[in-house]
Amino acid sequence: MSDKSIESQSGFDLQTKLLGGAVIGLGVGLIGLFYGLSSGDKSPYLGWLWGSSFWLSIAIGLLMLIMIFRIFNSHWTPIVRRQQEHGLAAFPWLGLCLLPLLLVGWLGGEQAGILWTWINPDAQTIEARSVTTVSEDVLHQKKAGYLNLGFFTIRLIAYFGIFCGLSYWLRKVSFSQDKDGDPMWSRLGMKISAAGIPAAALALTFGAFDLFMSLEYQWFSTMYGVWYFASGIRSALAVTIIVCFYLSSKNRALDGIYKQAHQYDLACLSLAFTVFWAYISFSQYFLIYSANIPEETFWYVIREINPNTGEQSGWFWVSMGLIFGHFFFPFLYLLFYQNKINGPRLVFIVSWILVFHLLDLYWNIIPGREISPGAYVGFEARPVLGTHLLWGIFSLVGIGCLCAWSVLKSFNSKAAEIIPIRDPRILDSLHHHE
Amino acid sequence: MDIKYGISATFNSAKDIYEAAGKVRDKGFTSWECYTPMPVHGLDGQMGYGRSKVPCFTLAGGITGFFTGMLIVWFMNAFDYPLIVGGKPYFSPIYPFPVFYELTILFAAFGTLFGMFFLNRLPRHNHPVFEHKNFGRTGDDKFMIVIEVEDPLFDDEDTESFLKDLGGKSVSIIREPIE
Repeated sequence: MSDKSIESQSGFDLQTKLLGGAVIGLGVGLIGLFYGLSSGDKSPYLGWLWGSSFWLSIAIGLLMLIMIFRIFNSHWTPIVRRQQEHGLAAFPWLGLCLLPLLLVGWLGGEQAGILWTWINPDAQTIEARSVTTVSEDVLHQKKAGYLNLGFFTIRLIAYFGIFCGLSYWLRKVSFSQDKDGDPMWSRLGMKISAAGIPAAALALTFGAFDLFMSLEYQWFSTMYGVWYFASGIRSALAVTIIVCFYLSSKNRALDGIYKQAHQYDLACLSLAFTVFWAYISFSQYFLIYSANIPEETFWYVIREINPNTGEQSGWFWVSMGLIFGHFFFPFLYLLFYQNKINGPRLVFIVSWILVFHLLDLYWNIIPGREISPGAYVGFEARPVLGTHLLWGIFSLVGIGCLCAWSVLKSFNSKAAEIIPIRDPRILDSLHHHE
Repeated sequence: MDIKYGISATFNSAKDIYEAAGKVRDKGFTSWECYTPMPVHGLDGQMGYGRSKVPCFTLAGGITGFFTGMLIVWFMNAFDYPLIVGGKPYFSPIYPFPVFYELTILFAAFGTLFGMFFLNRLPRHNHPVFEHKNFGRTGDDKFMIVIEVEDPLFDDEDTESFLKDLGGKSVSIIREPIE
């Protein structure tokens, strides 16, 4: 326990490497954004949004979990919660990563609507098979009070104000308690969480609407925010399990502290949120399928078939992959007790969940309608594989390295003990058993 | 008339019964039980019990429920009386999914409840230890181990002295009245 940094000797090295990865990844991503601005190719923008959505979902999941643990005054979580609190250090950087997309909306001129079409009133769009412009589209006219650049900017600032503010305060109450041991900090943490859960829930719901759902602004689903929440919690639990497993390996900081009982409970939460994700995702599909209204169904149609020929497209297999790979397999796997208490087995399935979460975001963000006057329905659906994947991987790695760098900096900063040693619940957490 | 049910011994603390239980387990007894006024964590592991088998019943119930739901929908809507509703297919795994899902949960819950009843041999209205004079204190401040006659290792004198050696107090025979 005397050695508090994760990377005892090479902490500085790893941090530098991560920063290098961030510079390379973000550098290539930014080149892509400039290239897209000059050529009108939106794929670097889709890739960038996809890359940031993954890390943002993890950070949001961590934030929600910490507040849920706090508000229940949960007895087993403090040692896990401390590791999660370091993850919150990434929020300001995530906000920074979304800034270029917003700036293009303001300064992009003719290309202002390159990612979010509705930003540019002159951009072409599809309404009931005919090509029209955004300003003439009745579906945009009705939504213009909400979907306009000024309000959009204010909202994005508010979301990140909420995320960063809550992160700052949740870290402060936890880290301050290490120094003076005042139980007042725990009570304050509970109060912050009581106010913070609804605030963050609204921010993440409308954030998902604004950032991802508005890519096809004609489409709408009230489930969308809950879907992003469920995905975020799943991926945050996965990251927590991987980090705690690593830290509890031999001679590392949590060796003998993080025990089977903690891992078992985190795994049970993973199972619960796997079911919850499936419930939400299926409900969204089920309601749209049952209602069968064209302005909603097109969103699923372009994820299943080529709308011009009616043949199955590559997205069909991605959709099937999500049903079986993102739900059935992890669900059946996590039902078994041994798979939950065995560290490597659990790390395997949560890594699997992270990969499929990435695919789920890809499936939600990338498909869309590209205007094509010669086509039977007036548009072509974007394919599964394309330059957006290539740009996306650079952005994903770049933003990931930046977030990992900020989190590692927090771990190594000595601002906090490895576990909250003066938390009133610390003994309960240390002695937690099944 | 009555028959012998087993031998009981009481202990004064959770620690005592925890250690005694380990020794009873090591001796190889299988038909025996601990009675405590509050849950003693780790006691079931000390007695040599593994994981509960109830989850197997839950899983079996859930799978049965899922396929029962499918069968109901297929039989009613696609086989016995095919009917087009809202332009949906006669049978599909999508539109009736709530039926599959609800029946999965219902049957899984039945499996859990009745599996637990079955494994615990419930319902059972009475038990010989209830009549025993020392049993009342196990709801208050005493801990009791009972080794049953039906255990293959049971022997009137050996078992009694074994329990006394473990530090058991009030070692006495439990009798079960029969008609």
